[in-house]
Amino acid sequence: MEQIAQKDIVISIDNVSYDYRSNSDEFVARGVKGVSLSIERGDFCVLLGRNGSGKSTLAKLLNGFIVPDSGTVLVNGIDTKNDDRIYDIRSKVGMVFQNPDNQMVASIIEDDLAFGPENLGVPREEIEERITWALETVNMSEHRKRSPNKLSGGQKQRIAIASVLSMLPEILILDESTAMLDPKGRAEVMETAMRLNKDKGMTVILITHYMDEAVGADKVFVLSEGELIGQGTPREIFRDRELIKRAYLELPIASSISLELIEKGYDIPFALTDEELVEGICKLK
Amino acid sequence: MRDVSFGQYYPSNSVVHRLDARAKLLLTIAFIVMVFLVDNLLAYIPVVVFILLVTLVSRVPVLKVLKSIKAIIFIVVLMSIINLFANAEGEVYWSWWRLSITSGGVLTAINLALRLIFLVMGSSLLTYTTTPMELTDGMESLMYPLKLIKVPTHDIAIIMSIALRFIPILMEEVDKIMMAQKARGACFDRGGVFKRAKALLPVLIPLFVSAFRRADELALALDARCYNATPNRTKYKQAKLGWGDLVATLITGVFITLVVAINNNFWGLY
Ligand SMILES: Nc1ncnc2c1ncn2[C@@H]1O[C@H](COP(=O)(O)OP(=O)(O)OP(=O)(O)O)[C@@H](O)[C@H]1O
Ligand SMILES: [Mg+2]
Repeated sequence: MEQIAQKDIVISIDNVSYDYRSNSDEFVARGVKGVSLSIERGDFCVLLGRNGSGKSTLAKLLNGFIVPDSGTVLVNGIDTKNDDRIYDIRSKVGMVFQNPDNQMVASIIEDDLAFGPENLGVPREEIEERITWALETVNMSEHRKRSPNKLSGGQKQRIAIASVLSMLPEILILDESTAMLDPKGRAEVMETAMRLNKDKGMTVILITHYMDEAVGADKVFVLSEGELIGQGTPREIFRDRELIKRAYLELPIASSISLELIEKGYDIPFALTDEELVEGICKLK
Repeated sequence: MRDVSFGQYYPSNSVVHRLDARAKLLLTIAFIVMVFLVDNLLAYIPVVVFILLVTLVSRVPVLKVLKSIKAIIFIVVLMSIINLFANAEGEVYWSWWRLSITSGGVLTAINLALRLIFLVMGSSLLTYTTTPMELTDGMESLMYPLKLIKVPTHDIAIIMSIALRFIPILMEEVDKIMMAQKARGACFDRGGVFKRAKALLPVLIPLFVSAFRRADELALALDARCYNATPNRTKYKQAKLGWGDLVATLITGVFITLVVAINNNFWGLY
């Protein structure tokens, strides 16, 4: 029997444009323009772009918060314009935002985790199981009965992730969820997202303007002024100096040093991380 | 740092914590009504004993309950002073111009101070032993008759729960903003009333801006978690009235009867 390797596309965006308009329908700002992309199940994708490049707009389009002016957004094959199934989409696309404090509705962690499944009408016993599972997944089980107020930023953000996980999403979008955190908190959240992707096969879309968070991604998308100006593996994107300049991004130190060295004629491989750079330099004769 | 412990849940697994929020709410209301009906100092003795007992049983540190008074001490003192002079009955202790302190005034002032203090202690015991979610769920449940006339009781409950969650966050923010303004030379504790009020303006404006920004993100987060997805919302924590609630009601009932009896000199003790 021959099996055709069928790629499983969870999100497909086709030629989508969206403008922000005032109540009187006047043009306010461009959100995104002519964006087409597709995301495969189980991928770890990173959406890169500087402030105002349209990253959050794209995220809101994926969740049906806003619908495109033109073009289509399909999530699991469901059009986000389909009002009847909007909650199917929202429960499948979990969204975590920038400020963890502003996403929690309850003063006790387990109550906050219960909020999503309660809204979806999940039976009691199952909510209980989901809370246990979600807290275990983000390594926060011992905080179950506590208040989120005294946690560190990274811990709060992990709770915010768990609160979304309790809806059993297939796709997790983190919209600059590391931007407000200290380096330790950032590392915690990144590690959690990576683990969800590797161990649970969750599709993750990480939105950021830090290029170093894109190093481990399967695929990177680059937005600028609302347009998708590049996509590819981190290695392809990081090497494209022209693209990075156009997007006003900042290359991680290791990559930029290795690029300089290569251009100066040294025989080292292009490096994404500090370790790769050190290894490359050590091999130089 | 401002003390934000007032109204904050104190986690424990005591008998009081495990009581149904609805029972606790109604009993607290009964307690408060009673405190306001009492006007005999002798009757406050069982009130103190009752509060102490509940505190001990609930395993909330006595100090925490006492600390809750700190938040209202200013109002208590102010109200007492006003009442001290407002009531001019009885024996005159001291007088100057039109002001005089009389035995009636002293009694009213003490009465009022004690009432306010007991009110705050009682209600903070409620919030120390009941999570905001239980509390708001309890209120929602007690508001059931309103739901029948199409009042959105569930939305009201969610609003209350969110408000309770954001009070400490916004308090902290006020501190931060004040600190930032102080660093730039602002002064909040000098000058007349108007000058002070004016000094608060640069605190209020950033506070509002930030509150609206938070509200914006919170609205998105509510939507992202499928708020209003189905009318058949389930409840993770289902409150059930149990034997404990009956016992608590009986004990409180006996206690209230006792206080009222002493207050009205039922046994001719004095
Ligand atoms: N609610 C809104 N009303 C009007 N204009 C908006 C609104 N939200 C975003 N915009 C505008 O749309 C453009 C894209 O914004 P978007 O929030 O998608 O960018 P972003 O890449 O997420 O930026 P950031 O890094 O600041 O989060 C910006 O020019 C922004 O000013
Ligand atoms: Mg954004």
